[in-house]
Amino acid sequence: MRAASLPVQRAADAKLLVVNRRGDLEHQLRSEFASLLHPGDLVIANNAATLPASLFGTHIPSGRSVEVRLAGRDSLSDTRHFSVVVFGEGDFRMRTEDRPKPPQLSPGDKLALGPLRGTVMRVLSHPRLISLQFEGSPRAIWEGLARHGRPIQYAHIAVPLAVWDTWTSIAGPPVAFEPPSAGFVLDWAMLASMAERNTRFETITHAAGISSTGDPELDALLPLDEPYWISHSAALAIKQTRERCGRIIAVGTTVVRALEHAAAVFDGFVPAGERLATQKIGASTRLRVVDGIVSGTHEPGTSHYELLRAFVDDEKLRLIDRELDAHQYRTHEFGDSVFVEKGDHQTRPRAGNRAPHETADFSNSRRFTCMS
Amino acid sequence: VSTSTPYWSRQTHNPFDSLRVAITGGTSGLGLALVHELLNRTAQVAFVARTRDNVERLIRELPEAHGIVGDVSVKEDAHPIAMQVLGALGGLDVLINNASDLGPTPLALLADTECEDVERALATNLLGPFRLTKALLGSLAASARERGGALVVNISSDAAINAYSRWGAYGASKAALLHLSRIWDEELATARVRVLSFDPGDMDTPLHAAAVPDADPSMLKRPATAARELARVIADVLPQRGPDPKTKFRAASQ
Repeated sequence: MRAASLPVQRAADAKLLVVNRRGDLEHQLRSEFASLLHPGDLVIANNAATLPASLFGTHIPSGRSVEVRLAGRDSLSDTRHFSVVVFGEGDFRMRTEDRPKPPQLSPGDKLALGPLRGTVMRVLSHPRLISLQFEGSPRAIWEGLARHGRPIQYAHIAVPLAVWDTWTSIAGPPVAFEPPSAGFVLDWAMLASMAERNTRFETITHAAGISSTGDPELDALLPLDEPYWISHSAALAIKQTRERCGRIIAVGTTVVRALEHAAAVFDGFVPAGERLATQKIGASTRLRVVDGIVSGTHEPGTSHYELLRAFVDDEKLRLIDRELDAHQYRTHEFGDSVFVEKGDHQTRPRAGNRAPHETADFSNSRRFTCMS
Repeated sequence: VSTSTPYWSRQTHNPFDSLRVAITGGTSGLGLALVHELLNRTAQVAFVARTRDNVERLIRELPEAHGIVGDVSVKEDAHPIAMQVLGALGGLDVLINNASDLGPTPLALLADTECEDVERALATNLLGPFRLTKALLGSLAASARERGGALVVNISSDAAINAYSRWGAYGASKAALLHLSRIWDEELATARVRVLSFDPGDMDTPLHAAAVPDADPSMLKRPATAARELARVIADVLPQRGPDPKTKFRAASQ
């Protein structure tokens, strides 16, 4: 695959590799995605808008320049506390792998990041991954982030990304640190086209964390814990779609992580509310809610790639890789996409979206199976 | 339905309770009156204005309002403004694009109007509302799915319809905004986001004083009166909203 090097969210020739539940492969124009949906299907996207999460400034004790990238958070509403990755001098034109190491960071160290002031609270599981606390009122912090922050940049993109390059068409709460880029497939005409075919569309909000740092040790820790909010309308739509045996199609890995986290906690039920996704999804994950995923194309070894192993077996995944290579699919945030349905062998009888109190006497007689 | 919500309280439900509203041009004229009116009706209000001193002064006066410094006519300000609105309110139900630019003052015949004056009027009165609405549309649509409807109000003028001599820059930009509102309202119907125009009439505001310096203020509408009228329009357009998403969910899932 080749890297998509221009920040165009919906290139006219963007491709979509479709893998249905029987494992058949088919190439489509991505703009035709809505035509692959059925009446009664539910498409769920992550409507998190992307914060300009890259903050340049100074590590006060050493006087050295640093770049701080907001990477994670424990709550959607807390504006003071973030997990951040600290980089040394340089900028995105330098591959992150080649950047100088930042100064040694210790609890209590102050950082001056434009108008923002922060304190290192703790060093987390890696010397460059720290817990940072901003000073000041929420209003001052929001203004500082909005005015001083820049979108996290990518060395493979030829021009600097502007904030609007990183927001999907449906972007809402600014809580993500990197774009939930599978959502770049969506535009308002596509939503209208879904509505015309009686395919429902809902959003959840998932604070997508940093996706890659260029440091293998750090990248092994990803994804960090991510808070998410499931709206009441999304929870209701999930319940009704499952009752009617429609497919639940996640736009992006973050949606899979959120829905499957809720389902794992509540025994198949996906209730509304805010929670913290802590699990990783991979080959051993039993998907309980999501029937299909729209995703960018990712390279083996990344957490995004790992997640696809929950949908299809490794043999099929290798076949998909070969197909993407043979047809010159573009990878990374602004690249082409895949639409993968959960393989038949991965499908299990499904429980309805029942309230937790109903699951106490959850017996087979109350289950129902969606036959195709 | 939740037993904690008695019949009578549902009957007298205040549509502004917990309604999240953003108002541009919020430190003077109609915008300022709207900030007061909607706060009085217990809405959560974020206001935007260009001048930091004016924003800070209003925050001191109304600490429950969220003040944001930004210029809607500047492309690079749209997303920072949107981010701060959403940071302050956690989402958005109603956006009121009120900030306006009069064009040249004193008012001039079009043939005597500088291109830059027309560009500025278009930037503030047309492109600004377009960009900010676009940046906030995802949030408005999410609100519509969750609560039954969301609303954009673009402040209009009779100069958008009538060809008044010397009102060329303002009138043309407001006419374009009116048409933009009508088209967008049509396109967003299925998303249950309404886009309305509201003509407040001739008011005693700094903009009117700049346009017609010798007008008798006592003959002009008070901005507070227009703000009350607009609040009634908002309440009328959002009647089908659930009183509280939680209640709606419980009701629908039974």
